[in-house]
Amino acid sequence: MTPATSPSPNVFDSWGGDSRAGILERIASLGSRRNGLRLASLLVVLTLWELWGRANPFFASYPSAIGAAGIEIFLPEVVPAFITTLVAFFTGLAIAVPIGMAIGFGMGLVRLLDVALTPYINAIYATPRIALIPVLVLWLGIDFNLRVAIVALGAVFPVIVNTYTGTKHVDPELLDAGRAFMAPHQKILRTIVVPSAAPFVFAGIRIGIGRAVSGVIVAEMTSALTGVGRMLISHAKYLQIDELFVSVITLGLFSLLLLSALTMVQRRMTPWSNAEQMR
Amino acid sequence: MLEMQHLHKSFSGTNRVLDDFNLSMREGEFVSLIGPSGCGKTTALRIVAGLLEQSGGKVIVDGAESHGPSRDKAIVFQHFNLFPWRTAIDNVSYGLEMQGRPKAERKKVAQEYLELVGLSDSAKKYPAQLSGGMRQRIGIARALAIHPKLLLMDEPFGALDALTREHLQGQLQRICIERNLTTLFVTHSIDEAIYLSDRVVVMGVQPGRIIAEFDVTMPKPRADYNFRAEPEYAELRESIWKLLEQQLVRSELVAS
Repeated sequence: MTPATSPSPNVFDSWGGDSRAGILERIASLGSRRNGLRLASLLVVLTLWELWGRANPFFASYPSAIGAAGIEIFLPEVVPAFITTLVAFFTGLAIAVPIGMAIGFGMGLVRLLDVALTPYINAIYATPRIALIPVLVLWLGIDFNLRVAIVALGAVFPVIVNTYTGTKHVDPELLDAGRAFMAPHQKILRTIVVPSAAPFVFAGIRIGIGRAVSGVIVAEMTSALTGVGRMLISHAKYLQIDELFVSVITLGLFSLLLLSALTMVQRRMTPWSNAEQMR
Repeated sequence: MLEMQHLHKSFSGTNRVLDDFNLSMREGEFVSLIGPSGCGKTTALRIVAGLLEQSGGKVIVDGAESHGPSRDKAIVFQHFNLFPWRTAIDNVSYGLEMQGRPKAERKKVAQEYLELVGLSDSAKKYPAQLSGGMRQRIGIARALAIHPKLLLMDEPFGALDALTREHLQGQLQRICIERNLTTLFVTHSIDEAIYLSDRVVVMGVQPGRIIAEFDVTMPKPRADYNFRAEPEYAELRESIWKLLEQQLVRSELVAS
């Protein structure tokens, strides 16, 4: 159906968008000043650390020594350890995220599932996962499966809980708009509930990643004795402080990288969430 | 064209929000509902829109009883209610998409209506990137795009600044005349009601009901001359205000 009378062009012509270039410039200059400050702060911290570390040679280390150790062990030791850990990590995450989203949406949308599952979810979420490690060792052994399970258990609950919360925070006025424009039930889900829950889901994945990283390292240090966890433990045992710091710093940088990558994926998938800054 | 017969609405345990509401509208007529908070004007509009179920009475559109939302009716909301994750053009085509129209047609129609409200340049922008006035123009385009017989507007300019509001009122009137739209319009503003309407329906509180109707006979479009200088404007304003003042006193008495 095309309109009977064709709309006349530009009835509202005098109301164009206004320029915001001035604001953008100010933000840009603020940004560069902020980066400058951060760099300066980093230099000061590294210098102080270097001085303090050289004065306490036994249990501490300092940036130049860590850098040297890093160059030495990065390829032969750090990279293989990370590969071992990351295979388990990403396998666990690939299991946890879709399952967590499915359970979260299911509980959010189907009252029966909500009522039936909430007590279990809360109970398991509240239990420290470390306490589950001995149980899981009995069930799964100390291999790959154990580490995957720890990762999945760590990531799945925040994803479930956040997805669920997201489905409960849909703006009722938007649901009104959907109903008024005759959206069928499944289109209300697809065009309103899912996109409005998306930022919650991403927040859940973000928390889940943090828990999953710590989970897999703990499992590798205490039971599996492999990957990054084992690397940390063995350097500590032999008081190889420089190498220990290399491992810790690499792990930190990796987590940072992972979260930035997630931010990029989120920007891609929910372009409206940073639309404020695009005006 | 639109008939509302003996509409009643009560929510459990409270007074009647709407009591025996009767109103019939001709095709192409612009009717405003005005009254203090709690007079049931928005309730009446939401019942017509099909977003709220009446406790009694009928809504009849073109001779057939109307239940729930339908493609004959389109609504413009006070808070715009645009989908933040949809660009302007995708918001405008939402109704058509829900009706299962082909993509090419949706795009073409949405484009036309964006042009109608003067926002073709902002087609790819998200609501968060647009001003309040621009957002509501998208809201109006979204409603018009499904080519409704009946346009329902719930204080659509209430959240806008005075200048934008005045401008959009004039443009809305032009569109309504041009396309012979039948419009039911809810407002708090006496000036807005007189400016836009062929008929102003004044509602009272406790229970929510119609207490008076006024025809507005000044020629339209009223943006073309200083309608506020007409004697009819002053008389209407005076009579409507007197009625509303009584109702305000009443609602305050009940509240205290």
